[in-house]
This record gives sequence, C-alpha cells and structure tokens, in this order.
Amino acid sequence: MDRVSLEVRPGEVFGLLGPNGAGKTTLVRILSGVLRPDEGRALVVGLDVGREPYRVKALIGYATQEQSLYRDLSVEENLLFRARLYRPKEAKILAAEALARFGLAPYAKTLAGHLSGGWRQRLALAQAVVHRPQVLFLDEPTTGLDPLSRRGIWGLIHQEAARGAAVLVTTHYMDEAERCHRLALLFAGRVLAVGTPQELKALARERARFLFAPGFALEAATSLPGVLEAWPSGEGVRLIARKDFQMGVGFQEVEPSLEDVFALLTKEAL
Amino acid sequence: MSRILALAEKELLQIRRDHVLPRLIVLLPSLMLFLFGYAINFTLKNIPVAVHDAAQDRISKTLLWELTKEGTFRLALQAQSREEVVAALDRGRARVGLVVPAGALERVRRGESVGLEIYVDGTDPNFAFQAQAALRRVIQEVNARILVGRALAGERVLPPLSPEIHTLYNPENKTAWFMIPGILGLVLTAFTVLLTALAIVREAESRMMESLLASPLRPYEMVLGKVLPNLFIAFGVALLVLALGHFVFGVPVRGSLSLLLLAMFLFVLGSLAAGVLISTVARTQVQAVFGTYAYVLPTIVLSGFVFPIEGMPRLFQALSYLVPARYLIEVLRGVMLKGVGLQVVWPHLLALALFSALVLLLASARFQRQVAV
Repeated sequence: MDRVSLEVRPGEVFGLLGPNGAGKTTLVRILSGVLRPDEGRALVVGLDVGREPYRVKALIGYATQEQSLYRDLSVEENLLFRARLYRPKEAKILAAEALARFGLAPYAKTLAGHLSGGWRQRLALAQAVVHRPQVLFLDEPTTGLDPLSRRGIWGLIHQEAARGAAVLVTTHYMDEAERCHRLALLFAGRVLAVGTPQELKALARERARFLFAPGFALEAATSLPGVLEAWPSGEGVRLIARKDFQMGVGFQEVEPSLEDVFALLTKEAL
Repeated sequence: MSRILALAEKELLQIRRDHVLPRLIVLLPSLMLFLFGYAINFTLKNIPVAVHDAAQDRISKTLLWELTKEGTFRLALQAQSREEVVAALDRGRARVGLVVPAGALERVRRGESVGLEIYVDGTDPNFAFQAQAALRRVIQEVNARILVGRALAGERVLPPLSPEIHTLYNPENKTAWFMIPGILGLVLTAFTVLLTALAIVREAESRMMESLLASPLRPYEMVLGKVLPNLFIAFGVALLVLALGHFVFGVPVRGSLSLLLLAMFLFVLGSLAAGVLISTVARTQVQAVFGTYAYVLPTIVLSGFVFPIEGMPRLFQALSYLVPARYLIEVLRGVMLKGVGLQVVWPHLLALALFSALVLLLASARFQRQVAV
C-alpha cells in the first residue's frame, strides 16, 4: 500500500474497486487492526488503529472475504457468539434484532453449515453488524453468489448505511461498484481516482473517447493511431482512444462504463 | 488402477508439501526407537536402599556388601532408626528398607536366628516381586557363607538370617493400584495437550481467526477462552478415573484429596500451555495431532507411568526430570498409596509450578507474536 487516504462518511456506501492483488484486502485488514502497516497510520473514526486497536475494534464490523462462521453452530448461536464478543450485556437483544433485520428468523435453529450459499452470506453479513458498528468493512461480500442473492445482499448493505454506518465495501464487480455512493479505484496499492460513479465517468470522458466500431476487426482497430485499448464486443469492437483520435466512418461515441473508466485509468497508471 | 495411482500420488505430494509432517514422520519412529529401545529396562538396577544397621558387626557388613556388590541395590541412606527407614520409603528416597537388629553376630554365634526387618515399596507390584526375589537371593548367599564356616566346624545347621518382609502401600500387590495414578497422569496429559492444540488450530483452519482478531477479543482472552473448557473436561475425566479407581478397583486415597487436586491443577496448567505452544507451530489439525504425539510419547516412557525409572540408563534418568508428568505421578502415588502430605511432596509441586510457569510464559510469548501479525 502506498499513501492511501480515503474518507468514508456516515451513511455512505463507499466502494473499493480493484483487480485481484490490488491491495483491497490488505487495506481492510490494516484498517480493522488485524494487520500492522509497515509505516504510517490508519485512522478510523478519528482513532489511530495502531495506538488504540481495541477501541477501534469495538466500533467496527468486519465481514472477511472467507465466510467466517461456525458451520456446526446454528444461525442464532453464531449471532449470539459474535454479539457477546462486542456487547455482552445486550447480546441477546442484538442477536434477536439481527435475526429479524436480515430475515434470518425462520432459520434461527438451522446449522450454519446447512444454509445455502446466499443465506450463509446473509448470516456472515448479519454477524459483522450484529453489534451495530459505526464503521463496516465488507471484503467482497458477494463473491460466488447468484445475481438474486447479490441483489439481496446489496439491499442489506444499503440498509446498514441508512442506519448511519459508514460502509467500506471491496469488490471487483463493476456492476456492483455502480451501487456505491462513492468509489475509489485501487490499482497496485495506489488510489487512482475517487468519486461518485458519475464523477468518475465524467473524469474519463474528459481524458479520452469511448467508441464502438460496428463490423470492425480487432486487429484493424488496434492498429489505428491513438487507440489506447480495444476489445471485441458483440458485432464489432469497443475502443478507448486519445482525445485527439480521428473517428472512422460508422464509429459511435458511447457512454463509458465503470469498466471503461477502470481500463483507462490503469492504462494511464502503467 | 491409474485413477487410484493418481489419487495416491497426489496424497504423497501433499504430505511432502506439508512443512511439518514429513519431519514428524521421520522423527516420531526414531524417537520411539530411542525411547523404547534404550530407556525401558525391566531388570532392576540401582534400587535405593535405606539401612538401619543397629548391629554394626561382621554379619551386617557382609550383608550390606553382598547386597550392593552386583549393582542391583545401592545404599541410599544410613538411617538411625526404623522410623527413619520407613520415612525414607515414604519420601521415595529409598524403595527398600533394611533393619539389622543389634547383636546380630552374637546371636549367630549362639546359633540363634537373626530376624531382619525388610520393607519393600509395594507401589509397583512388579517391582516388589523382583526386589523381594533379589533380596532373598542375597540373604541366602550370606546365610550360605555363614553356614559353610559353621558346618565345617561341625555345628548345628539352621539358616541364621531370617528375613521378615513387609510390603508397604500395596500389600496385596494390586496392579491397578499402581496403574491408576499413572493413568490419571496420562489422561491429564493427553486430553489437555491434544484438545487445546486442536481447538486453536481448528479455529485458524476454519478462517475464523481473522474475524476474532478484528473483534475486541484480546489475545489472552482468546487463549483463556479456548483453554478453560479443556480444563473442565480434563478435570472431569480425571475425577472420573479417580472415582472409578477408588470405587471399582479399590485404590485408596490415603492422603489429602485437596493436595491431589492442587497437583493436578498445576500440572494441567502446564499441559494446556504446552497445547497452546504446539498450536503456534502446527498449521493443520494433522500436524497438531502428530505434535501432541511427539509430546506425549516421552511422557509415557519417562514419567515412571509403568516403566521403572531406576532401570533406565543415566541419561534417561536425567531426561525424566524434564518430564512434568513424573512429578505429578510421584505426587499421585505418594498421596494416594503412601498417604504422604505436603511436607513430603512439596518439591514435586514446586517442580510442577515452575514447569507450568515456564511453558505458560513461552506459549503466551509465541502466541502474542503470532497474533500480532
């Protein structure tokens, strides 16, 4: 990680977008006090994670990339255990609340290992927020889920933000990034850009042209002067090109997707 | 067939890729050979004897010389009274006691028989049998030497020295009385070390560790939380063994029960810490099981659980002092069978406490370092 500075506000779902190995998980681990940075400080809710790790840990919720739940415990027992680690006195109430909030009540007595993937992820999320943390770190919360389950999980993520939590969620799915209030593009341990999805797209439009060339061959498109990136798309080729690129006949200007933005910025970073 | 081979080769590959397992696979049998091959020796040697020699004459001198000449017995204590002899057996300083009455030589000259009082530590029936047989042989030898002289002089022939053997602590030679305190020690070792090592490694393997580390749970809370249930389980099992031993096998508890529990507690503390220590080295549950085995094996052989420490070569006798179970078993046998109290067993308790403190320190240092990534 190299001089990363991010600000996530209460009530905001902040996306950390980047390819595998970009440093998303490392960042989250440092912020949650699991990993110590080589140098520098990490501040969460104004507290130095290195100096006061346990004050920070009490305030945050962290859903790890690999579902951390006890498969041999029931849904309710899993939630109760987590709640007791944070707020032992109110644990019962908190666990019951989380069961209701996440629609897990019908499965309260089911063993976590017997749940389907989507429901297990729901439980993992419920566990991370059972103590009503002010800050929530979610590391790839939807990896491996079907589209319907993913929608469900994102609904719940926004529900937590609406409660007032600052949510930092990592993902490498571009369509999920669209669901975040704001985003940071992370690449090779550095932040390439920060902004709302719209702001990022506007930024990209200022720097490059995003085009569709119907009926074009990939090799022909790549060899055109000023083309930064080209890839086959349906019946033609998609292009990212420099601002001064001269459009050929039949080329169409298209609205850049977040994936395009990402492709452009990483290209520039290299 | 080729599918079986594919699977078998993959298994071997995985074992080889494991960082700890291949070493353990080589180390364990070597350790076993070394321990069982060299340490275990059922023929007794160097049995410590406490002697109260009230006679101090030619007869008693000859007897002592014959007793110690072959190395089966060694003179551990010159006692001033019969009480001191028995006390030495209580304390475990001697395992055989001998009292030669005053005026032995005169009696022999008068043709009377001399009654030798002999005390044998009967804790281990096997030991008691062997020791008694060896003692009788020695006495026969001395008798024969006296008789040869007198027969030549044409006198009446009667065995002059007549031993009166008292088997202490376990007069009926019940093996169970000997084994059950040892089994208690083993159960306490195996259960605590294995359960603890497994519990912690299982947590790490199940990827839960990350979540626990991100929670306000302190490292010491994590260790205590993991270890406490095993403490209860180990104690529960130990009490069960104790109760079964007492009510089914009739093993007595002659000393104080609270002293027993104290020794068990000190010991368990150290064993739990050893479990934590193993868990800091082992990455997988298989490694933890093997690691525990490497810990328990020397305990079985060197603790005096069944194999007499007196029979071992000097190196192994020295090594046995590093095995905490040795002290526990000494306390258990002492308190249960001999009925001795704190004034006798305190050095063992101290050793247990020191061991536990040391391992506890080591384990927490390693665990802290491991958790603080």
